[in-house]
Amino acid sequence: MEKLSVLILSGLTNGSVYGLVGLSLSLIYVSSRVINFAQGEFVMLGAMSTVFFLLTLGLPAPLSVVASVTLGLAVALLLERLVYAPLARRADPLTVMIGTFAAAVVIAGGALVAWGPNQLFVPNLFSLEPIRLGAITTTAQQCAIIVSFLLFIVLTWWVLFKTNFGLTIRAVGVNPTIARLMGIRSERIIRFGFLFSAAVSVVAGVLIGPLLGGQASMGVLLSVKGFMAAILGGLGSPFAAAAGGILIGVLEALVGGYGNSLYAEPIIFALILIVLLVKPYGLLGEFEAVQR
Amino acid sequence: MNRLLSPTLLISVALLILGLCLPLIIQSSFQLRVVMLIWVYTILGLGFNLLFGLAGQLSLGQQGFFAIGAYAMALLQTKLGAPLYLAIPAALLLCALLAAIIGMPLLRLRSHYLAMATLMFGLIIEGLALRWFELTGGSAGVRVPPIAFGGWSLTRLDIYYFVFGLAVLAFLFHAFILSTAGGRALQAIRGDETAARALGVNVTTYKLRVFVLAAVFAGLGGVTFAIVSRQVDPSYSALTININLLTIAVVGGLRSRIGPVLGAAFVVLTPQFLTQFNEYEVLLYGTGLLAFLIFVPRGLAGLIERRGRAAPPAADSNAAKADTLRPASGEAR
Repeated sequence: MEKLSVLILSGLTNGSVYGLVGLSLSLIYVSSRVINFAQGEFVMLGAMSTVFFLLTLGLPAPLSVVASVTLGLAVALLLERLVYAPLARRADPLTVMIGTFAAAVVIAGGALVAWGPNQLFVPNLFSLEPIRLGAITTTAQQCAIIVSFLLFIVLTWWVLFKTNFGLTIRAVGVNPTIARLMGIRSERIIRFGFLFSAAVSVVAGVLIGPLLGGQASMGVLLSVKGFMAAILGGLGSPFAAAAGGILIGVLEALVGGYGNSLYAEPIIFALILIVLLVKPYGLLGEFEAVQR
Repeated sequence: MNRLLSPTLLISVALLILGLCLPLIIQSSFQLRVVMLIWVYTILGLGFNLLFGLAGQLSLGQQGFFAIGAYAMALLQTKLGAPLYLAIPAALLLCALLAAIIGMPLLRLRSHYLAMATLMFGLIIEGLALRWFELTGGSAGVRVPPIAFGGWSLTRLDIYYFVFGLAVLAFLFHAFILSTAGGRALQAIRGDETAARALGVNVTTYKLRVFVLAAVFAGLGGVTFAIVSRQVDPSYSALTININLLTIAVVGGLRSRIGPVLGAAFVVLTPQFLTQFNEYEVLLYGTGLLAFLIFVPRGLAGLIERRGRAAPPAADSNAAKADTLRPASGEAR
């Protein structure tokens, strides 16, 4: 029982991060039909820049988070301006995706220059002291990750469903051409998608850094886990993608804890294959992914 | 211009002569190894060109088949004692079977989904290579036994010509497919699956065939790589192979007969040149890749073919289509 609760909790923690990356990917995908392969790099930037701002520069914690997010936004803006926009003008979405793949190599290469190839200790913002809540043992850092996951879900929901701007995002998601005919500036929506996603992923990186350790090359795996989350849940909906992340995180922890971590990835892969066969657009996916 | 004198043909012949003569010029075994790596990546790139360039199916898991081919070839010899002339076809057959099994469900998926699912496949193969210690030897890998057919043990030069010969065969086979009716059917699938189906193309069968074919090419690439390096380890299934493959496609140019060769040369030679920049290597590599993607969209082969005005009409009409189709309008019904 003790073991189960520990495993589920650590699964929820990792799953929250996968879910936030999945949510980020889905937001960009919905508005631009592009999978941003560089999304995991923002998680890496969050973790690595915390090392820089908090340890090297000695900034206070809140300022350090703001600085990390600002860095992430700047990189996202460059990504959108220099990679997405020129490619999207003339190439198909798959080529743009290869472009974001190349951008991921550039960002990871930049981090390699800045921080070197070794795994770094990322300072924790919240205490890592165990807290006992009944049968569950947790830490403030773990709770912060899960809480921020929930906060971002609510924030995304609020933006999408309670604001006029969100209405235009959803309109672009349903049909970009008609949305443009209605006077919606789809470029703005896409830029917002890149920036918002970057902020979400950076915060996820700041929080998960102390648990995963920071490394310049950690981004790719996180991108892939985010994709798995998004595909399992449904790429067409940010919330489905986030739920997929939680599912993958918990599964990974349970299979790794009770069986062998050797089997965790093949089992999740087989599961995703089965889901894709039965429901090609994810467990909670919507029809919108049918085209492209 | 005379079709026979097209720049593609001239360059192909020049490459053939160059490939045959290079061992006479090159003395150091390191340089010979570098040239052999170009032929290895050529084989890998040719398969990817069929799958993505021709049929438009993006797989990011080719490194998985690359590793399976190499491991199967090595393990069949070390564990089962199979001779090399049996181990190579068996390894390719294994790649084909596996591709058929995972291809049947995967190819029902479109574009992004296929790309992601195949990427997962590649990562799982890497995980197995690293952690299935009893079979693969973990990160230490497997040593490939001396390369010999029966009693004839191959010298360094023999190995070169063996690898080069396989690359030439792959090149000819690839060019042959590009000019058959099947090749046209695959192009039709890339253009529009529904329209292709309406024209009587059996889309599912063709997609599966090209997926299996690309896996066999990748497996052959792995086999030749293992023959060249005499050691199989998990780096065969690493994401680097995949990045190299995308670089071949981007730099060499898609849908061209010589693109994969030019791309392979770039992918092997550039790192040799970049190592002097130490920690900046990855950054420079990525930036170069991005620059090519944005400023030279049809790659080196595209530059050459445009100069010779011998670009195949199919590629042209597709470029025109890509110009008019903004990604946002990708879901036109």
